Amino acid sequence: MNIVTRKLIAKELHVNRLLVGIGVAAGVGSTLVAALGSTGFNIGSLTWLSTIIGMGVILSLYGIMNERKEHALEFIMSLPLSIADYVRAKIIGLALCFFITWSVSVAAALVMVFAKDSVPDGIAPYLVLISVFMLANFGVVLCGTMFARNEGTTTLIIIVTNMGVTLFMFIVAPMPGIREHMWAAAPVWNSAFWTVLACELAVLVITLTLPLVTVARRRDFM
Amino acid sequence: MTDKHIEMHGVRKSYRFFTLDDLSLSLSPGEVMGFVGPNGAGKSTTLRLAMGLISPDAGEIRVLGQPMPAAQAAAKRDVGYVSAEMHLLPNATLGWHMDLVKSIYASWDADYAARLVKRFNLRPEQNARSLSLGERIKAVLLLTLARRPRLLILDEPTTGLDPVARHEVINEFMDVLQDDSRSILFSSHNTVDVERISDRITFIDRGRLVESSNKEDFLDRWRRVQLQLPAGAALPALPNIVSRNQDGQFVTLVTDRFSDGFAALLGPHVREVQRMTLEEIFVANVMRHREVRGS
Repeated sequence: MNIVTRKLIAKELHVNRLLVGIGVAAGVGSTLVAALGSTGFNIGSLTWLSTIIGMGVILSLYGIMNERKEHALEFIMSLPLSIADYVRAKIIGLALCFFITWSVSVAAALVMVFAKDSVPDGIAPYLVLISVFMLANFGVVLCGTMFARNEGTTTLIIIVTNMGVTLFMFIVAPMPGIREHMWAAAPVWNSAFWTVLACELAVLVITLTLPLVTVARRRDFM
Repeated sequence: MTDKHIEMHGVRKSYRFFTLDDLSLSLSPGEVMGFVGPNGAGKSTTLRLAMGLISPDAGEIRVLGQPMPAAQAAAKRDVGYVSAEMHLLPNATLGWHMDLVKSIYASWDADYAARLVKRFNLRPEQNARSLSLGERIKAVLLLTLARRPRLLILDEPTTGLDPVARHEVINEFMDVLQDDSRSILFSSHNTVDVERISDRITFIDRGRLVESSNKEDFLDRWRRVQLQLPAGAALPALPNIVSRNQDGQFVTLVTDRFSDGFAALLGPHVREVQRMTLEEIFVANVMRHREVRGS
């Protein structure tokens, strides 16, 4: 990785530092709220989910669409880098920003699950699955926004991926191997869990690498 | 290896409603080329091709000896690009941008950067989002000039600037030219700015190169000649007439090949021979080009 790519990755962390800070605070804060009984659990869980989903959307919109719309991309592309360097730096930089919020929020939620007696530890595998789903979901939004040339397409991608979270809950939660262990006293890491996790990780890897072999080869970048 | 800073041969770039066609131009070290054309002529497209931001459908482009867009990362190490539309990152200060550029380019001249900050009346602690149009363009220029690129590609950099800011910016370009190993490709539809700093002018219109020549050559060759013909007399057949307007006995001719011989052909009917401004030459040239192309 060349110096310009590294500088641009650092740039993403710098320009998004406030957003990442807010995301981390909201993720941890919503976990604390979720620990305050059943009403708190419902409110905290929803806020926690919204924080992670919203973070992915804002990072993609702000980091890619706005940079293009506000002509800051011209400044970036005047630096000594290729289109491939730019795409690589953007994906790694934004993924790092998201990963900071995501990892702290997920870690806080897992600590809460294992620390609170009122929340069964059996929900941990499902929590991991929905967390990694949101990571993959971010990958889809990021990849789609890199591909999109207009705001309309980006908005459509965001709507579809947001619907995906609800669909995930409807499809994965009642799955055999997931449903029956969700309220158990101890977590069960069975084949159903590993299969869903593998699918999510595959989506994540594909969406994060696809722009590197497609968008990076575009003949016209601007 | 070529010593030209920019070389374009038979470049073609097609969009749905616009085609840049068969463009060939070259820029030598120490040269300032004014790239002049009306809105939508293809100036920005040409400059983006030179920067490797878009790829030609046909033809060859080399910048500082590097093939574009394939070697754009290497070429851009020594190219400064500024466009009127260019913005800095809105969530960062000018000082942060200066640190970023400094960390990338070993050629960053900190003293020169500090002088430009003062001369342009900029504040490094100011957030890029709060810069006015003039400040924004001067900030981008500061970031570009302070790294001392060998080639400057400027896409209408003075558009929207007030006369004082324009004067400051043009003066900086003149400073760049103290070093005759550096060159500038400067696009504009403001012929006054172009005339001030360019030593070579290229006119472009509707995606085609109209004419490219030395500035002095343009200014020497083009003349507006006013004649008064005797009643009933016809104008003799004349070569190299770009336009002709007649109002009774009074005729105004524009020629792009004025010489003493041309004046001698008109004899005593000549009332006045006027030099033309670059803007007048540009307009007359473009209008002739459109007529020839039948559009």
